[in-house]
Amino acid sequence: MSTVSTRAPAPAEDPTQTRRPARKRRGVREKQWPAYVFLSPWLIGAGVLTLVPMAASLYLSFTDYNLFDAPRWIGLRNYSEMLFDDPRYWRSVGTTLLYVVVAVPLKLALALGVAMLLKSLGRGRAFYRSAFYAPSLLGASMTIALVWKALFNDGGSVAGALSWFGIDTGGWVGNPDLAVYAVVLLTVWQFGAPMVIFLAGLQQIPSDLYEAAALDGAGRWRQFLSVTLPMLSPVVFFNLVLEIINSFQVFTPAFAISGGNGGPADSTMFYTLYLYERGFTASHMGYAAAMAWLLLIAIGVITLILFRTSRTWVFYADEEGR
Amino acid sequence: MREPPHARLRSPSRRTLLTAAAAGVGTALTSTLSGCSASGGSSGGVTLTFTWWGNDDRASRTENAVRLFEKENPGITVRTSNGDFGAYMQKLATQAAGGGIPDVAQLDYRQISQYSGGGALLRLDEAVSAGTIRTSAMDEGLVRTGTYEDRQYALPMGRGITGYAYDAALYRKAGIRAPRPGWTWEEWADANRRIADLKRKSPDGRPFTGANDGGPNEDVFEVWLRGRGGRLYRSQTELGFTEDDLTAFWTFCNDLRADGAVAAARDTVQASSIETSPMGRGLAASDFTWDAPFPGYVGLLGDSVHYGPVPTTDGRAGSYFKPSMLLGIGAGTPHPEEAARLVDFLLNDVRAGDILGFSRSTPPNREIAARIAKTLKGPEREIYEYSQTMEKYGLAAPPTAPPRGDVPIQSAFTRNYQRVIYDLATPRQAARELIDEANRELRP
Repeated sequence: MSTVSTRAPAPAEDPTQTRRPARKRRGVREKQWPAYVFLSPWLIGAGVLTLVPMAASLYLSFTDYNLFDAPRWIGLRNYSEMLFDDPRYWRSVGTTLLYVVVAVPLKLALALGVAMLLKSLGRGRAFYRSAFYAPSLLGASMTIALVWKALFNDGGSVAGALSWFGIDTGGWVGNPDLAVYAVVLLTVWQFGAPMVIFLAGLQQIPSDLYEAAALDGAGRWRQFLSVTLPMLSPVVFFNLVLEIINSFQVFTPAFAISGGNGGPADSTMFYTLYLYERGFTASHMGYAAAMAWLLLIAIGVITLILFRTSRTWVFYADEEGR
Repeated sequence: MREPPHARLRSPSRRTLLTAAAAGVGTALTSTLSGCSASGGSSGGVTLTFTWWGNDDRASRTENAVRLFEKENPGITVRTSNGDFGAYMQKLATQAAGGGIPDVAQLDYRQISQYSGGGALLRLDEAVSAGTIRTSAMDEGLVRTGTYEDRQYALPMGRGITGYAYDAALYRKAGIRAPRPGWTWEEWADANRRIADLKRKSPDGRPFTGANDGGPNEDVFEVWLRGRGGRLYRSQTELGFTEDDLTAFWTFCNDLRADGAVAAARDTVQASSIETSPMGRGLAASDFTWDAPFPGYVGLLGDSVHYGPVPTTDGRAGSYFKPSMLLGIGAGTPHPEEAARLVDFLLNDVRAGDILGFSRSTPPNREIAARIAKTLKGPEREIYEYSQTMEKYGLAAPPTAPPRGDVPIQSAFTRNYQRVIYDLATPRQAARELIDEANRELRP
């Protein structure tokens, strides 16, 4: 369900164009057509598989469309109903925000922590790196989500292990206060991708900075705060943006863990799951399309805000003339 | 949570492994089988897809019937698939949206209006009048349940009725009279309290209760409502009950739950099949169920489980005979002729009837039903006798096919009651929210 794939490469420009004198333009244009021929699979793909469906979905968002009958134009009613007349819509927004706020920091903290451990590791680093990355490869699959459901179910291993310590949680999956955290843990567990990026970033930090800091008497914690974090801030920013965008679109784990209904009592009804339910279970495709567009706008706004605030805390080495 | 932890750690993983292994073997077998039949078929062979939902017994019987059909019709290969009800419904909805309903598909009563109105199902009138699909041995009223705007889009595969699975040994022990036609909701509530008073424990040490919680189940509400003279829908765009009706029902259920007379909230929300239902997990002594799945309870829990009538309001029964499921043909099928032949075979062929038996409750073909009834024993015999008892007792006519919005309303029903049992809403708040949602869904 990639409802919001927004990135499109810049239009193909010929870099030679500016350098050549104007009278030679015709020859240049003759040489351009092979480029378009070779680009055509991508251009056709982008057009047919991305732009046309996006335009169709924008149109459908202003209609009442039940998948079977022809769409009926209803103007802004989908949007107004969503915002003013659908308590479940706002519950799904709340659940998704809670999830983003809890899962993203946890996942990034874990990714950074493990990346730092791996960096200081000598032998066996490759093995551990693969081992920690593996869940990210497996994690997107339905199978893992179902295993996760079994672990967190009533009578599953998690409830069993916790009851060893005298904590009776019952099955998390059947508890509206805990079900969302089963999904959070499943996501956090898949910290491999940001971890690998953090690791690459950590290896870029020159070791003389640490040596200088050590000479000035900085301890490990001070070094982390004054050297590692500032030097790593572009990587943190990159991971943060990526993870926030991904988290708003969380779908598979919630779908699998709740059996597709966002239960119990809507506690795992994330935005995209509600969107899916409106579209495919309740057959309100127009409403679902409107939800997708509002999600796109919301993610766009949040990303914009992140980029604006990043000026105050992201440090690029070349800015300071290093 | 007092069961030794090692037992809990082990069983799910073993089960998961077994399931995975079985799925692997199943896939291997299926591909081998279809490979065989494909190569065995004559040139220009036709492949039909056929899907249904149901338990393992139904699956193996249906597979056998399909293999017989393939043998009788050289050149036709039938690719089958099935799943549990919830997953099946979602998959079918997605397929219907893409215009790809399988050539032959088992359908729920609730889907008929939506799918036929949307042109996802093939009209069967011609096949019926040409005699490719025979309906002469079926009840006219039952055949009519597969129509939409007076056109035939589906045919019933079975005649079902709601009933009540209960552990007769426990009922005796608690001194409760066996359920009989005309017993009331008050007697039912009292029975549940008396079972709970036995202070039995479930296998994992939790309190044993009288019954599954009927609150999230729209079918139970419908029976309750009809017993009081109401109905779910007044028309295709209008509900047939009020906020007060639903508040009363949910208050009744929720109070029993709070008293420990019916299953706890967390067990109710995790129930999605007989095996995961409170009764199937050894947490409750009884459950509302349709007749078709009832033998599953006996298979799982033993012979002391029997099938009785659901409670009434002062003797007025809310149950009715309805098509337990229907069979339709996808509008986009490239082989309507062969698909119709398969439908007819499953519904009217005597040998297919023998194989399928009562796996979809009473077969709609009267001759087949009577023929199989003679051979029935155990739980299936009980179902057959139960439906005869209820015919004699007298039931009101079935409602017309539910409107298009019924599918989301049904899931809203479950969800809103879940909010009640988790204290996220009072019965009245939840009822009001359900009615708001339902009115949005029913908007023309």
